[in-house]
Amino acid sequence: MSAAWDVFYRQMIPLEGYKKVLEGLGNTALIAIVGLLIGMVIGCLLATCKILPKSSFAVKLLSGFSDFYVAIFRGTPMVVQLLLIHFVLLPIMGVQIPIILEAILAFGLNSGAYVSEIMRGGILSVDIGQTEAGRALGLNYGQTMLRIVLPQAIKNVVPTLGNEFIALLKETSVVSFITVVDLTKAFQNIANSTYEYIIPYIVLALVYLVLVLAVTGVIKLIERRLRAGDRR
Amino acid sequence: MIDVKNVYKSFGKKEILKGISCSIEQGERVVIIGPSGSGKSTLLRCMNLLETPDKGEIWLDGSLITSADAALHKEFFVDGKLNKKQLKSFEREMSININLARQQMGMVFQHFNLFNNLTVMQNMTLAPVMLKVKTKAEAEERALELLDRIGLLDKKNEYPSKLSGGQKQRVAIIRALAMDPKVMLFDEPTSALDPEMVGEVLDLMKDLAKDGMTMVVVTHEMGFAREVADRVLFVNEGVIAEEAPPAEFFGNPQHPRLVQFLQKVL
Repeated sequence: MSAAWDVFYRQMIPLEGYKKVLEGLGNTALIAIVGLLIGMVIGCLLATCKILPKSSFAVKLLSGFSDFYVAIFRGTPMVVQLLLIHFVLLPIMGVQIPIILEAILAFGLNSGAYVSEIMRGGILSVDIGQTEAGRALGLNYGQTMLRIVLPQAIKNVVPTLGNEFIALLKETSVVSFITVVDLTKAFQNIANSTYEYIIPYIVLALVYLVLVLAVTGVIKLIERRLRAGDRR
Repeated sequence: MIDVKNVYKSFGKKEILKGISCSIEQGERVVIIGPSGSGKSTLLRCMNLLETPDKGEIWLDGSLITSADAALHKEFFVDGKLNKKQLKSFEREMSININLARQQMGMVFQHFNLFNNLTVMQNMTLAPVMLKVKTKAEAEERALELLDRIGLLDKKNEYPSKLSGGQKQRVAIIRALAMDPKVMLFDEPTSALDPEMVGEVLDLMKDLAKDGMTMVVVTHEMGFAREVADRVLFVNEGVIAEEAPPAEFFGNPQHPRLVQFLQKVL
């Protein structure tokens, strides 16, 4: 075992493998964080489309689009979406962007579908009396939504949103399909170049575990701050 | 002040209001009672359009605030065809009017509905400041004055979850007052309270009545109706079955359903 350690150590430090690992870690974090942010923006918009009172044709159209979007992005695997964007959609459109952006885009679009359902659930979980009280005071729909309903909805969805972020973080390990070097790919490269697989992959697993635990801690912190006015 | 004209409202297949009409005069205290499911809350909620009437009109201070029948108005027809564009802009104007109308009608709910994400102070200043009825300083001054009146000045920075039921409802009442409304609508304000706390809320409402506030109160508190009301309405099966000043209403009820109802609740 100690021989295997020596090989791993040599690859990591003197041969500067750690630089690749840090680069991979950076890419993983970048894709997950920016992906979730894009997902939240898309998700909030889609959820709003579905929750608006269905009085006009335009709203029904938006709600239909929202259903379609969720069906597409939830109905196909992430890897397939990634491959489609990289090998089909962007080449057809003749657009060239850095592959890291492609990965961020793919994860953002995908996450939007899940976040929209999370946000919709969150908005519906806020008692209708809150909306009625806002409207009865003369606030319009948007003002009531923005100041009363959404802040409470977001508080209610923080745990679920945290779940989504953790899932996203781990799922970024498929980006090597379009040649982005993430955390997984960096360790894979180290393992492949030394033919020693045991230690790199165990360390890889531990790094993910530590990442997820750290994220869990941050989510708890956010939740505690948001729940300042709560009984529970 | 408020005129309800021939209003119909159904929820699904169930018809709740069946052509109800009534009017509330300035400075009047009107108490609405009736069996559960009779439509008394729906009537109240139609007054500030939390429920949109299917048919009929609501007037506030001489202006029509319902648009349910707008499609029937002659001026939206050109050569026998509905002018949709004009109707749309009319409806848009209507919805602005609705928000303006609601600013003049304070509403108190059975379940208080204080904004859980805001402190007592923020609950009271949000709407006046956001709707530019008052500046922030004015709104805060008024809020403090009202809080002092109900003896809850020390709770101004608490969240609603830290208040008792009675305190919540009293804050909900002064939150509505902070908009300086012309009329206050109460939807069973004491029904969700512990018996011990009913008194403090009723006392505040009596106080308001003494100040000359126009009030419409849906309640099961017969004592309050007797003491405070100028007029009591009995709503039964979607219509007003009887209306009279309290002495007559309770002393000499006419409608058989009212006689039966009063026997049970008194």
